[in-house]
This record gives sequence, structure tokens and C-alpha cells, in this order.
Amino acid sequence: MKVTVISIPVRDQEKALKFYTEKLGFIKKLDMPLEGGNRWLTLVSQEAQEGPEILLEPAPNHFEPSKVYQDALLAAGIPYTQFDVDNVQSEYDRLTKLGVEFSMKPTEMGTAKVAVFNDTCGNNIQIVEIL
Amino acid sequence: MTYYETQLRKIRQNIYSNQWQLDTVIATRNYIDNNYAKDLNLDLLSHTRFVSKYHLLRLFKRYYGQTPKKYLMNKRIEKSKEHLKSGMTVTQTCFAIGFESLGSFSVLFKNRTGLTPTEFRNEQLSRSNLNSDSGTCEP
Repeated sequence: MKVTVISIPVRDQEKALKFYTEKLGFIKKLDMPLEGGNRWLTLVSQEAQEGPEILLEPAPNHFEPSKVYQDALLAAGIPYTQFDVDNVQSEYDRLTKLGVEFSMKPTEMGTAKVAVFNDTCGNNIQIVEIL
Repeated sequence: MTYYETQLRKIRQNIYSNQWQLDTVIATRNYIDNNYAKDLNLDLLSHTRFVSKYHLLRLFKRYYGQTPKKYLMNKRIEKSKEHLKSGMTVTQTCFAIGFESLGSFSVLFKNRTGLTPTEFRNEQLSRSNLNSDSGTCEP
């Protein structure tokens, strides 16, 4: 078995696609129409284009418990998932300039430095740098 | 402050309060990052930090979740992939990342990636050829 897809629930696939590509810098990999205007929409990181894909899935719009869970995580400031970066501080500076909102500024946590931002599609996302 | 940040701070206080230990393992990791291609000597590092080699190994495992040896091997494999992608030969790559025998490098590489270094290199090179070809075939 191999890990190839990690899904992130989003409220609006088109808006998420814009945020994840234009602000975060991911690249669109697959975009297939499904029924009801939903899409199988995946992204890869620029520096690992053969690596695992992020699936932007519209689950909260179709499955109530997914929405409830997502809302609760968001309200508590808990990240849905995390991405690795080389330097949390410089990524924080870059994203802040682009208007991205952080609920937690760069914070050292033992052997890691982390920060948490809002992906505007219903999730907190954590960026992490290993020290 | 969010619930998450409050919890994080609490955890930090409970498990990351020993700054000396943190400094020690972070210095060890930096040392491995900067010297992965050399014959690594953790004795030296443990002496400079006034800690026994075995204590250092335990600390590293505790804070990074893997032994320094395993961390080093992962680092070397990661670097070897970069070298192979850039077109370096398997033999050159093997020595550039600090392996002394082609055999042990190939076995470890296959173990971690599912491909031998040669297979990986050929796959990467044909992929990059494909990409540059498709550029010229665009209508």
C-alpha cells in the first residue's frame, strides 16, 4: 500500500483551488468532473510533484457530520493538517503580506517551530519547520 | 489565544522545558545535516556537549522519534535522490553521500524507495526527457 492522497475538506472547491495555488503555491494535478458540480480535484507541491496529492474534497457540503467536525476544529484553532516548510518565519512573513490570517504566530515547540493560518475554506492549517 | 495554542503551550511546558537537552539534540541534528557525507563521529559531539554517547542517542530518539543513525540514513537517501535526478552516476552519488560500498547503498536505496538507484535514475531521466519533449510537441 502506498500513501498517494490526503484529503482536506473544503466549503468551496474553486475558492480553495485559488487559495492553495495562488497563495500557498501548490500546483493543480487532477481535475475531473463528478456529479452535481463536484470535482475530483488534487494538488501537489511544487518541489515534490510526484509526491502525495492533496484532495480538496467538498465533504462538508454533503455530509453534515463532516461540517460539524470541521466547524469545531476551526473554532478551537486546531489544524486540520500540516505542511512542512524550510523556514516558518519567512513563510509567515510572505503569507501575511498576501493577506493570509494567522491564529498562531511562529512559535517554538521543542524541536519544531510552528504557526497556524486560516485557509478561508473552513480549516486551520499548520506550517512546521524542524529545528 | 485559541484552545489549540493554550494546549500547545501546556504541552511545551511539560515536555520541552529542558533547554539544555533541546540545545543538545538540535546541535546534533545540525551536525548530521552538515556532515552527512563524512564518516560521522558522534563520540566527538557527545564530548563537546559533556554527555555520554549513549545518553545522546537516547535524547535524540526521544526528541526526534528516530535514532541518529536512522536520521542520517534518511538524509543520505534524500540527498542521493537529488544527485540522481540531476544526472550524477550511481557510483558518484554513492560516494558523494558518504557510503563506502555500492552494494550497501543499493540495498538501502531499494529498501527505502522500492527501486534500485539505477532504476530510479533512469526513471527520473526519462521523465525529464519526456517533459522537455512534450514542450516541443505542443501544437
